[in-house]
Amino acid sequence: MARSVEKTTPTVLSGVNAMPAPTWSWLKMNSAKVEVPAGLEPAPARVSVEVADGSADVLSANADAFDDALVAAGKRFASRARASAPGDAAQQAAVAAGLLDEMDVPALSLYQHGALRVEEELSVPEAFASGMGAEAWAYLRRLGRKATVVDVPSGARATVTVRVSGAPGAAAAASVDVIARRGSSLSLVLALDGEADGAADGAAGGAAPGLVGAALRVFAGQESRVAVTTVQTADDAFVALDDTGLFLDEGARVEVSHTVLGAGAAYTGLAADLRGDGARIDIATSYLGARDQERDFNYEIRHFGRRTVSNMDANGVLAGSSKKVLRGTIDLMHGAHGAEGAERETVLLADEGVTNKTVPVILCDEDDVAGNHGATIGHVRPEQLFYLGCRGLSKEAAEDLFIAAKLEDAALSAPDEATRASVVRLGEAVVPHFKEEIA
Amino acid sequence: MTAQAPALLSLAGVTASVDEKTILHGIDLTVAAGETHVLMGPNGAGKSTMGHVIMGDPVYTLNDGTITFDGEDISGLSCDKRSRAGLFLSFQAPVEIPGVPLSSFLRASIAGRPGLEMKGKEFRRRVKELAAELDMDVSYLNRELGVGFSGGEKKKVEMLQLLLLQPKLAILDETDSGLDVDALSVVSRGMDAYRRSTDGSLLIITHNTRILEHLDVDRVHVMVGGRIVREGDADLIPWIDEHGFESFEREASSAKAEA
Repeated sequence: MARSVEKTTPTVLSGVNAMPAPTWSWLKMNSAKVEVPAGLEPAPARVSVEVADGSADVLSANADAFDDALVAAGKRFASRARASAPGDAAQQAAVAAGLLDEMDVPALSLYQHGALRVEEELSVPEAFASGMGAEAWAYLRRLGRKATVVDVPSGARATVTVRVSGAPGAAAAASVDVIARRGSSLSLVLALDGEADGAADGAAGGAAPGLVGAALRVFAGQESRVAVTTVQTADDAFVALDDTGLFLDEGARVEVSHTVLGAGAAYTGLAADLRGDGARIDIATSYLGARDQERDFNYEIRHFGRRTVSNMDANGVLAGSSKKVLRGTIDLMHGAHGAEGAERETVLLADEGVTNKTVPVILCDEDDVAGNHGATIGHVRPEQLFYLGCRGLSKEAAEDLFIAAKLEDAALSAPDEATRASVVRLGEAVVPHFKEEIA
Repeated sequence: MTAQAPALLSLAGVTASVDEKTILHGIDLTVAAGETHVLMGPNGAGKSTMGHVIMGDPVYTLNDGTITFDGEDISGLSCDKRSRAGLFLSFQAPVEIPGVPLSSFLRASIAGRPGLEMKGKEFRRRVKELAAELDMDVSYLNRELGVGFSGGEKKKVEMLQLLLLQPKLAILDETDSGLDVDALSVVSRGMDAYRRSTDGSLLIITHNTRILEHLDVDRVHVMVGGRIVREGDADLIPWIDEHGFESFEREASSAKAEA
């Protein structure tokens, strides 16, 4: 591993937030390219970790704890290997054994090859991935240098807050490994904030750039409960990279809340491996795009276990000339009997100038499963604008109202005072007296 | 009757259309400060259109005539500017705006209005006070605007805005339609409170004469086929109650035939 990131090199991270099953490349949605501003200084000191009073002693010095847990789980789940994977895998096995001619078997896409490999091997560590992909993950982990290891003992409860306080000219990212042992319960808050130089108006406007990020791995052990709440409130001069990889053992329940409010360009990736039977993940994403902000999301949920459940709910407001891509893939793998996955999105487009792209994908290699997706995407209708106009709101004021409402909601549901203050800072840039209004 | 009182709102020869179809034909109408006017007429007469045209709904084109409000020609102003000038239109079917809490919306509606701007605490106190006056559950304030509200609740929200914004002139477009007796009494109470607290003018568009029982009506206008065909004082109301609009419609069609 490189010891540091060179200060002067502008970095382009490619293949970020790549969909597992790509669509037409001309749609330009398959993945993103992240331009990391040149000259950023890695700033590991800008990451702080707080363990709440009354929590179990959860900070561990064992840097291998996560990998060990994953390998151990891999051994338990190895019994599902090859022989029990018919279908495509069986056909491929027959081809390999010379029982079938290759011409008798349908050709596979690149994605299908990859999926088949995962299915055949069912290797837990090998299948483990983050949502943003290897390149971005490696970059973030290098910035974070030494990972914070949160190891929650069996049956224990803990609340941990990780704050990344970005600064102009700095690249600050948290590296966090979570191991929630059997029956434990963890609430993890990730606050990604960055205040630009004199950015009274929140907009980039020539302010020195910065980067904030997080690279989080979670091993949710049997019957554990893990809640991850990420709130990103950086000013527009920042790039935000929030990457997560999750493994869910039997009966594990994970709740993820992603609130993306700030940063000129924000990338959020999450991949979850629902390996254990009865595992469940609920993801709530709330985002705001204003001015010329860019938002890029990639969620990949792989259902391996039986009766596993996933829910992805995204709710956003896009204004100005902001751009958003949301990729959500539910992969109902072979053997995931009784699994259910659902993804929904509601977007309000407050301005004609926004670009809104959504790609819901449901992949299915099992009969007894259910996958659902739905989206409500709406421009503000003329009659709504007229109504608001009749109450004295110009088109611009109406747009500000939609933005303010999103920020107000985020402020009211902020996990702590510091995060709330960061939301208020963003709010003040849009709404005069925002702080007083929500007091 | 205050015929000599200076006009607050005046329409002179207003002709308006939608999709090249003319709906209003040369409307002349004057409302003085503090007066209560009623606009009646059969379905499809153009009553709501008139309310929307006064308010500046971009759906309609003002082909001819001028609209003057409080001494200013507002014909070319956008609806938000007309609102800030002191005009108010209560909607027959208030729209829903998902994602925007009612309280945020109300705050935005008073922002920048001289004399109405309130800071956080004062605003909340005032809104709660008005909600109580209208028998409205304060929990509605945190809900998304109009989403999941009953017809009655939507009308209460309209009344709440009327009392909060204290316009110089309020056009109430069938605010009473589709309401049960209880909701109707809330609307009446809202109108009363508005008249009491502001001495503002009212232009009430309605089918239902019942809502007018507790009001001192200064003038009644009857609209048929996009034209004002009769004007009179409050005595016209019981007459219409008894005879309906048929005679006006007959007159209008024979006048049209002659023309």
